Amino acid sequence: MKRDQVLAVLACAALMAAAPILLPPFYIRVGQLMLYSAALGVAWSILGGFAGYASFGHAAFIGVGAFAAGLVEDRFSTLPPPLLLGFGLAVGGVACAALSAAIAYPILRLRGTFFAIAMLGVSHVCAELNNNLDFLQGSLGLNFPVVTPESIAPETFYYELCLFTGCAVLAVAWQIRRSRFGAGLLSIREDEDTARMLGVPTERYKRIAFVVSAVLTGLLGVIYAHSLGYITTDSVYRDDTNLNLIVFSLLGGMGTLFGPVIGAFLLVFVTQVVLGRLLDFHLFATGLLLVILVLAAPGGVLGFARTFSFRRRANAE
Amino acid sequence: MNNQPILRVDRLSKSFRGLHAITGLSFAIQPGSITSIIGPNGAGKSTLFNLVTGYLAPSAGQIWFQGRLITGMPTNRIAERGIARAFQIARPFRDLSVFDNVRIGSLFGKAGPRDVAATTARAMQLAAIAHLADRPASALTVGQLRHLEVARAIATRADLLLADEPCAGLNPTETAAMIDVLRRIRASGVTILLVEHDMPSVMEVSDRLLVLDAGRLIADGSPSDVANNPQVIEAYLGSTEPEDTESQTAEPAIRQGSKI
Repeated sequence: MKRDQVLAVLACAALMAAAPILLPPFYIRVGQLMLYSAALGVAWSILGGFAGYASFGHAAFIGVGAFAAGLVEDRFSTLPPPLLLGFGLAVGGVACAALSAAIAYPILRLRGTFFAIAMLGVSHVCAELNNNLDFLQGSLGLNFPVVTPESIAPETFYYELCLFTGCAVLAVAWQIRRSRFGAGLLSIREDEDTARMLGVPTERYKRIAFVVSAVLTGLLGVIYAHSLGYITTDSVYRDDTNLNLIVFSLLGGMGTLFGPVIGAFLLVFVTQVVLGRLLDFHLFATGLLLVILVLAAPGGVLGFARTFSFRRRANAE
Repeated sequence: MNNQPILRVDRLSKSFRGLHAITGLSFAIQPGSITSIIGPNGAGKSTLFNLVTGYLAPSAGQIWFQGRLITGMPTNRIAERGIARAFQIARPFRDLSVFDNVRIGSLFGKAGPRDVAATTARAMQLAAIAHLADRPASALTVGQLRHLEVARAIATRADLLLADEPCAGLNPTETAAMIDVLRRIRASGVTILLVEHDMPSVMEVSDRLLVLDAGRLIADGSPSDVANNPQVIEAYLGSTEPEDTESQTAEPAIRQGSKI
């Protein structure tokens, strides 16, 4: 990312931060979902896009983060709201770090589809445990204390919070991408054995990427749970989230920094706004759209744009 | 200390479920040399490279690099010590540009202080692919990919380069260019261990030949010595007895370099 790109992103973020003044509440909620999805997509991409370990079970970290935070916040609900949210974020992040670090070694020995399916298993196992262990209150549901300041509408508050967090996640991903660590992750995606032969500490790098991705996902889960106010197992351990995280990158451009952002914006906008009124029809239409996009632009929106500009340049020469 | 070999292999053996790929192999490589390993298919050449780079663990024996034991070390640690490998079938990072491919070599590889930009540029220069820097690796020809493979390997600032058939499948012009690259790499202070089937190239570039057959070392010496060694001719062309005439016709065949 060049300097003018950084400036462009900051300008976009500033515009988006001002948008709630003009938008009706419904669109603010759509915007919040877009930003939340984009942030999740970027967090997923640190492992799935950069290192090529496509996880099909990142909802596990949304769920673990959300429930860990919720259970602890419930105990300390007398704390002032901003502190409580910060506390919840810390607990959710630590819980996800612990879970991902614990499963990293065995699960990252699997590659490709096997890793994806194993992660789906992790997500389902966590969901089942969450549903059936009474002290986790997964089936009963968990209330989150209100942390929204009274002067701000809740949807605006969560919109801005998601915007801020999204920018932070993007900044983390950007820093990783341009670092030596990021170059190592790319080489792992391209050819893991060759990477190791060149001296890339592949095992360590994969584990770090996994934990970073899990922690960021967990933090977003905590924020999402707060925005819902009340969660059960089914509202955070969602298989459509598991699926969508891959779709965001596929749509926008796998392994790129902005691919998941573009993909998430596109998919959420299409499903919520364009197809939102066609209730019976919208899942079918989403599926169709996906098939068409993936067939027409296998490299995603960014990949398509790149080949297009490449062709134009070639024609000009 | 200058006489210390850069690589020493001591009674190395590797068997795959009873198949002895390498049996009791011992040799030492002096720094600054180009040593070629030749032998018929299945002689254990690739297995030897896999053992030296730590991709496989030996069944028995030891490998010493610059006076230190490296057997059993993970592949990336061995790379950090200063051994690099160029694969026979080029394995570029296809989605990345030539520059980024080579840059990953210089970002990692041998431990110690590094100047990534300078090392990348120098490696591309040595391997004669500087003009391709911005091309995606997927757009290169087979010959160019071989050069990329070598560039990425030496960008690791390795002291020992294992080159696995860098000339296989190349036409005579490309082969000559590759030989030239290998010479320049050696001149830059890198020791080269070469597996190559293209006999004219081997004869031209090597200081020393090691001949493997069925996992054993059957000859070791200068190219001309080895080419006249009856045991080597037998290994390549089958038993020469009882007629002696066959070995005489076989010898020029090796010299002239039918690809074996």
